[in-house]
Amino acid sequence: MSEFLRILEDEVQIVALAFMATVYTIRLIWMFRFKAGKEITKPVGSPRVGVAYSMMNVAMPWAMESARKNLSFYVQFVIFHLGVLMAITATLILPYWPEFFESEPIVRIFQLFMGAAFAVGLIRLIRRITSPVMRLISTPDDYFSVALLTAWFAAGVFAMPNQYEVSEWPLILFFGMTTLFLIYVPFSKISHYLYYPFTRYFLGKTMGHRGVFPRKKGGEKPAGLE
Amino acid sequence: MSDKTINISDVVNLPLDLKEQKKALEQKSPAVVEGKVKVYDPNKDNVKNLLEMLKNKLSRQTVSSLVGCVHCGMCSESCHYALARPHDPTMTPAYKADQIRQIFKRYIDWTGRIFPWWVHAKTPKNDEDLNRLKNIVFGTCSGCRRCTLNCPMGVDTAVLVRLTRGLLTELGIVPEGVFVVDKDSWETGNQMGVSQEDYIETLEWQEEEVQAELDDPSFKIPIDKEDCDFMYTVNPREIKYDPRSIAYACKVFHMAGESWTMPSFGWDQTNFGLFSGDDKLGGYIAKNLYEAAKRLRAKRIVISECGHGYRSSRWEGYNWAKYKQDIPSESVLITLIRYINQGLIKVDPSRNPLSITYHDSCNLARSGDLTEEPRWILERICTDFREMYPNRSDNFCCTGGGGALSMVEYKPLRIEVAKVKADQLKATGAKLVCTSCHNCVDGLSDLIKHYKLDMQVVQILDLVAEALVIPEKNEKK
Ligand code: SF4
Ligand code: SF4
Repeated sequence: MSEFLRILEDEVQIVALAFMATVYTIRLIWMFRFKAGKEITKPVGSPRVGVAYSMMNVAMPWAMESARKNLSFYVQFVIFHLGVLMAITATLILPYWPEFFESEPIVRIFQLFMGAAFAVGLIRLIRRITSPVMRLISTPDDYFSVALLTAWFAAGVFAMPNQYEVSEWPLILFFGMTTLFLIYVPFSKISHYLYYPFTRYFLGKTMGHRGVFPRKKGGEKPAGLE
Repeated sequence: MSDKTINISDVVNLPLDLKEQKKALEQKSPAVVEGKVKVYDPNKDNVKNLLEMLKNKLSRQTVSSLVGCVHCGMCSESCHYALARPHDPTMTPAYKADQIRQIFKRYIDWTGRIFPWWVHAKTPKNDEDLNRLKNIVFGTCSGCRRCTLNCPMGVDTAVLVRLTRGLLTELGIVPEGVFVVDKDSWETGNQMGVSQEDYIETLEWQEEEVQAELDDPSFKIPIDKEDCDFMYTVNPREIKYDPRSIAYACKVFHMAGESWTMPSFGWDQTNFGLFSGDDKLGGYIAKNLYEAAKRLRAKRIVISECGHGYRSSRWEGYNWAKYKQDIPSESVLITLIRYINQGLIKVDPSRNPLSITYHDSCNLARSGDLTEEPRWILERICTDFREMYPNRSDNFCCTGGGGALSMVEYKPLRIEVAKVKADQLKATGAKLVCTSCHNCVDGLSDLIKHYKLDMQVVQILDLVAEALVIPEKNEKK
């Protein structure tokens, strides 16, 4: 392995990660500087249950009409995010435990997930370009973020065998993109995972407090029967 | 789709109508003179003022909704505006919220301040832009929160729309109807400008009606009686257009042997502050109610049938008024359940033989906790109850929510998008649609008339009154 690739896989990633963590910390401080609205009414339900329900919403496609009616979109969502998880895991394992990728089945599993995520990324990009609704609400950041992730998955597929002795370029591309990704993410919509706990927490707390979450399906005991 | 589709630029470019504002200025309307209701001043730097107010009004909750949208477009199929106008991408909830999000990004958020074009961050240039913003947030959203519950990120678009409405209200850049109702609310303590004299007279009239019906001269609608079990609060629409609903409620309370009263002031459980986004007005109206209960030492507040009234009085009002909730407040639906369950009143479902479906008011089902309660009652007071689909917190808005009924300039669009609701109603095949909200009654009646549905709107209390078994000694001779 060349010194360039070694540094790119190791020191450069650490610096980029540290940069991302620093920006995120500042971002969180910024968020916390806004006052939190207070709920001073007597509750009907449990804010804690509401928060748990709200956070788990992502794993309950049946609980939300938009997911229920677009199951294929939900499946795409799962595949895409599993691809992200696999790619991030790969960036952490490759430099420090390269033997892990000596097993062909493991390489194939990672390639499968990232390849599927790449396909979903393409579908999403096409949808964003062709749907008038998506075009209207999309910003350059939205297009770039999806394109960047999609390209990153493709680079990941080629980098996975970790055969730097054959060619270092797939790995240079993958880790180069990871660096760009880590630096760009805090300023882009990809940071939504940082905000997800906030939005879902606040919504869950209010809706739980008011007894709207967990959402009722019928058969629940009405108030007034005590 | 409706036969006639509206050109959205006609809605978005509707000019700011200032007739009512000018009239209020000429007449030296107290709410305007005291600065409680703002009038539009073209000589002020309204854009700058809006930006300053935005900064001050942001909370952690609103900021998280502003930064949390990933523009996935999942909300587009949850909004009745977007569903009824699939050819019009500007109906997408995310687009509506983006109108304030863009300003937030340009003025407050990071990336937008440095690279505005990259994230579509922008500041309104002039008052014309603010007027267009007004038409989007008041004219193309009923604040129903259906998109909120369908957003995978949990972004509360309805709250962002209300936030924007509140900023524009502070600048007097509002639809005429909003200005008038806000002014009336401040000046009379109720949103329909009902005078105290009219209110008392209406109660006395309804008292006489019930006395005659029950053949019981001792029946009273107690006003300002102290130390009762509860204080009953109503929607001014009941006083003005539907006083029978007050009579029905009072008759039921009487039959149940209840100890109750109505306040002479602080009786309006509705709250236009919810719609105009004016938290100060919201707090003022809600506090009148809470203070009335305190003055009368009532043990509970009972709120008549109204979605936004329930949401405002039971939930938001305490927060707006920063008023610690000292006594319970409940919807009259819960009071009715108690009476029926404890056998305090008797009901006969065979008296309501027509097929009935139930429309969940957005504010009761998505911003409140009442979905099973009306159904529990309906199952006991009618013989043919059938659900409409979707229902409960998935139900579609009556299309008259968010104060839409007071903004006549947007009526053609409102009626066009009501096609979604009309189809939903029609599919039930029911003869009656029951709701527990006076606002929904008007919204649904409008669309039933326009789409020529063979259906009538009723409320729970209408049906309870019909099903009520009156002991023989009280039966009218
Ligand atoms: S509001 Fe929610 S559902 Fe709509 S585009 Fe934004 S993240 Fe997606
Ligand atoms: S709150 Fe209701 S009307 Fe407004 S954008 Fe969302 S779904 Fe549409």
